[in-house]
Amino acid sequence: MTPVSPPNETGRQSVLEARGISMSYGAVRALSNVDLSLYPGEVLGLVGDNGAGKTTLVKCLSGVHRPDSGEILVDGTVRDSLNAEQMRSLGVETVYQNLSLVDTLDVMQNFFLNRELLYRNPVARALGLLNKRQMYRATTERLRELELAVEARRSIAAVSGGQRQMIAVARAISWGNHIVMLDEPAAALGVRQSLQVLTFIRSMAERGVAVLFISHNMQHVLQVTDRIVVLRRGEKVGDLKTADASAQQIVTLITGSDLVVAGKDTKV
Amino acid sequence: MEDESPQTTPDAPQEETGSAASTAQGVIRRALDRASGSYRAFGTLIALGLIWLFFSLKSEYFFTTENIFNIFLQASNIGIIAAGLTVVLIAAEIDLSIGSLQALSGSVAAVVIIQHGQPIWLGILAGLGATVFAGFISGILTWKLKIVSFISTLAMLGIAQGVAFLLTNGTAIAGFGDTYGLIGTYSFRGFPAAAMIAIVVFVAIHLLLTQTKLGLQIFAVGGNSEAAEFAGIKAGRVKLVTLIISGLTGGIGGLILSSRLDAGNGLFGANDLLAAVAGVVIGGTSLFGGVGSVVGTAIGVVMIASINDGLILLNIPDFWQQIVIGCIIIAAMAVDRLTKAARLSIL
Repeated sequence: MTPVSPPNETGRQSVLEARGISMSYGAVRALSNVDLSLYPGEVLGLVGDNGAGKTTLVKCLSGVHRPDSGEILVDGTVRDSLNAEQMRSLGVETVYQNLSLVDTLDVMQNFFLNRELLYRNPVARALGLLNKRQMYRATTERLRELELAVEARRSIAAVSGGQRQMIAVARAISWGNHIVMLDEPAAALGVRQSLQVLTFIRSMAERGVAVLFISHNMQHVLQVTDRIVVLRRGEKVGDLKTADASAQQIVTLITGSDLVVAGKDTKV
Repeated sequence: MEDESPQTTPDAPQEETGSAASTAQGVIRRALDRASGSYRAFGTLIALGLIWLFFSLKSEYFFTTENIFNIFLQASNIGIIAAGLTVVLIAAEIDLSIGSLQALSGSVAAVVIIQHGQPIWLGILAGLGATVFAGFISGILTWKLKIVSFISTLAMLGIAQGVAFLLTNGTAIAGFGDTYGLIGTYSFRGFPAAAMIAIVVFVAIHLLLTQTKLGLQIFAVGGNSEAAEFAGIKAGRVKLVTLIISGLTGGIGGLILSSRLDAGNGLFGANDLLAAVAGVVIGGTSLFGGVGSVVGTAIGVVMIASINDGLILLNIPDFWQQIVIGCIIIAAMAVDRLTKAARLSIL
């Protein structure tokens, strides 16, 4: 199986790029020499079997992990040594699998986590006084726009798994005006909410946001992405345009063998 | 869990935000949800009221201004260190050294003021500086060397007390003089200055926790440090700050104690840790982090002081105090469990 060559993207400046990223957890090699580019207004699907290195790659790109070797570029500038906060300030927003929200805080506090609105008054600002009223208003408005029927002061521990996931996605979508990475954003969602997330993703891309979308759901990937990158055992084995790809082809790249998929090209 | 209840389905858009819960169930749910913090403190307050009622019926002296103020005085010391401990516990860490820190600050103040004849303000500054530094060391060990605070502050418990004994040569350095003594003994119309200091500490920490970005970060780190880190919060640094705060409160507590006892020694205050933990736990702060309030802690500490005071008034032997307080801790935990289960079944 030869890696599929990336589509010709000459003339476009990538907003996020990984060059030769390698990373090991002790003796386990999670990523070896992975290249990846993300372009504005594009939805890039990142697929691979469990343990293929998708989440590790996202964590490298978001500044949570530091890769052992390789370069990360944001808007064409090398930004290797940035932490999660600094990457966020460059407009890189991430939804991690299951881990993005603090259960003991409420919706509003999670929504504004580490981005809290303070009062303008310089003294209040120096003291770090929270402008709760404004945060409440902004959160409530955002929740309504996204048609999320959750009260802003409701504790995250008291909302359902699906709503929790929607809140995490909504937060990333609201703040991410440049690059948004979503690790299995629809994993805990029902059919209706999954479709809503996919719609969000498309509308973000139309606004010019670059979206990296990780999913095991082949139907979602084919439906929403423009391009698909396939990882297998920490290596990039495919980079193809969604329009040219079939589920069969992607599954073959993911598993590394020409498995026959039973039934139609739907889910893996 | 994954299924939504009818009123949370998105196909029924609401005109007004927050009016999602129009059904009776929704109203109850929202009320419980909103109030879950203050509601817990309210429960503790009712328990305190019952305890006061009980002792008032048993002893006519109990519910006098003088005795209530005396309870506040007894509670102020432990209250101050318990307030700092609350902050640390919300961040999902613990400070076992707070008792020893009291001994340390009192001893440092005694050495500076009594032995070296330096001005009082310098002694106070030195005492607080010593305990803040101790908290800083515990915090740095927790942050940079990833030594859990249970261990780093356990080590500090020994070190701080050892230093206090070294400074005082194992004896009590006594004789601060009248001015310094005012910290622990002055009262305004019967209301003790120590209790005023405690109130200032509680209000300051309450505002810190509920109104500031740092306070929210403390809750976030304690609730889910990984998610907090992903949001760019430096969890280790936040934990360091909480240990510095409890270093400061430990120092303040020690100064009050040394003023009241008119001496500094490695033993003064060293045994207050358990009472402080009891106050915090009765007040509803979670030992697992992310949940808690100093309002609850204040009530919890006053409750313990009230029980001690009441039992003394009733001439009940000392050791009963420990038994009663142990039982109250168990009762508080049991009530927490039961109400949590009840809440979940309503939700």
